[in-house]
Amino acid sequence: MSIVITLMLNGLANGMLIFLIAIGVSVIFGLMGIMNFAHGALFMWGAYAGVTTYLATGSFLLGIAASGIVSALWGLAMERLTLRQVYGNHLAQILVTMGALLVLTEAVKAIWGPNIITVGTPTVLRGGWEVGGVIFLRYKLLTIGIGLGIFAGLQFLLNRTRLGMMIRAGVENPEMVRALGIRIRLVFSLVFALGAAVAGISGMILAVGQGAFGPDIGLSNQLLAFIVVVVGGLGSVTGTLIGAVLVGVTTSFMAYFLPDLAMAVNVGLMALLLLVRPQGLFSN
Amino acid sequence: MPLKRPSRSSQISPSTAIKTLLLGAAIAFPYLTDARLYMVAAIDVFIMAAFAMSYDLLLGFTGIVSFGHALFFGLGAYLVAIVMKSSGASWLPFLAAVLLTVVLAVGLAGLIGVLSLRVRDVYFAMVTLAFGELFAIGVEKWRTVTGGSDGFNFRLPEFLIDKNHVYFLSLFFMLASLLILRRFVNSPVGRVLLAIRENEPRAQALGYNTLHYKQISILVSGTVASLAGVMWAVAHRFVSTELPSLNRTIDALLMTIIGGTGTLYGGIVGSLTMRVIHDVLSGFSSSHIIFNRWLLIFGLIYILIVLFFPAGIIGSAAKMIGRWKERHPQIS
Repeated sequence: MSIVITLMLNGLANGMLIFLIAIGVSVIFGLMGIMNFAHGALFMWGAYAGVTTYLATGSFLLGIAASGIVSALWGLAMERLTLRQVYGNHLAQILVTMGALLVLTEAVKAIWGPNIITVGTPTVLRGGWEVGGVIFLRYKLLTIGIGLGIFAGLQFLLNRTRLGMMIRAGVENPEMVRALGIRIRLVFSLVFALGAAVAGISGMILAVGQGAFGPDIGLSNQLLAFIVVVVGGLGSVTGTLIGAVLVGVTTSFMAYFLPDLAMAVNVGLMALLLLVRPQGLFSN
Repeated sequence: MPLKRPSRSSQISPSTAIKTLLLGAAIAFPYLTDARLYMVAAIDVFIMAAFAMSYDLLLGFTGIVSFGHALFFGLGAYLVAIVMKSSGASWLPFLAAVLLTVVLAVGLAGLIGVLSLRVRDVYFAMVTLAFGELFAIGVEKWRTVTGGSDGFNFRLPEFLIDKNHVYFLSLFFMLASLLILRRFVNSPVGRVLLAIRENEPRAQALGYNTLHYKQISILVSGTVASLAGVMWAVAHRFVSTELPSLNRTIDALLMTIIGGTGTLYGGIVGSLTMRVIHDVLSGFSSSHIIFNRWLLIFGLIYILIVLFFPAGIIGSAAKMIGRWKERHPQIS
């Protein structure tokens, strides 16, 4: 029984991390109608930039900050330089973001090399507690905390602030919002940078949590993010959270019992959902 | 009595002349050079051109993006490799493997289409990416059969080992793919696909079941891609996890975009261009480290083409020739 609870807890932590990766994909699609195939590369840049800063300065917090900032800058550059040229053209958007995935991934390989980088968890976050056979790891608890914190923050931002109102209005009718004198393009850029920053931070958290990572970290996690947004429903924050926890818990149990089939079960979950409820669990 | 088709012109058009010349050069090539290196490169160019053309059917003629196209390529290559490895070098199992490849490719393409086409277009890109990666991971994990990331080599019937035979076989395969795909896009079904690409709601309003037509497009494209995989396995007598990887799909994407989408010939031009640039850049790799990361350079070129020259090499060339003809109406 305690192993089940431990695995659930692990799954919850995984799920929160996947939520952080996926939320950028979901919100950017919800607002701008852009499916960002370069999201995994932004995630990856967060991991590399964050871990490099952390290893150089010894400060985990500085690493987190660096991962968010670097990924946000890349996201901003992507949006300004490429996506802005092809608004409304879905085919070109998919093609351009895939090109960005290729370029950003190759750039990481050019700078850091193709080899695995190892990184230790900060001493404060090492270890954990055992309560009645259930293991609570500090780093996992922190991950859950950050995930819930960002979820709450996003809900607040979207539903309770003026910027959130502009974003929601922009989803409904961008032309009208523009006509009201709001610079919707600027709002788009901000959302894109925000989604990229969250992806970058999640990259840093995942990389340090794993202890070792290489250039394949981007694509495999992007895949998880895509499965999550298909399961949860594109554009829905709550749907993304539920989908992420579902995939996280599944992965956690599969990793314990049948690790080789973890990805197969996730893709199977997505396939099943597409058959039964193609618009996702929580679609608006 | 059947009427004789009126001949359009007694003159040979420049494009026919160019095509005939190129074909002649391709046929004469093995007799002009003994260098194995060039032969191998040319074979790769032919096979990848066919693969890129099958991709163009989706991207350029149907207007949908697949990020799992290498699944079919890997499927064909691995099926032939596994069958030949376990059965020895004879013809019957080889042909059975090719047949099985086609059957499985059609089945898989059907499954992917059913799952992904009903929702938004972008789902197709996401679902194909997921299935493609799942396949690639599966190939890597199933070590007992696939040899994992090391891959494995295998034997083939004597006839398929001679480099000249393989050269002409892959040239034939590319031309056959070109003719079949061209016939297909000019068929009534192909015309409906173009209508879907231009304006799907309108095609629906005209009474076409667009889902059904897109499904056909995926089936044809997947089958040609899987046969390209078979050809690749034949040419190299070695398979590895690089074949079903996303990078292989990206290769097809780059070739199609650089050559020109919606032209079929763009696949051939793109395949040749990429190979030549790749070999040239690799030659520079000793002078500067950046040339080792040639995909970075290709990626940037690709983005610039998507943004500023969406017609690619063939389309842009056609436009330039068209403008030139307007200015000089008396010639041609």
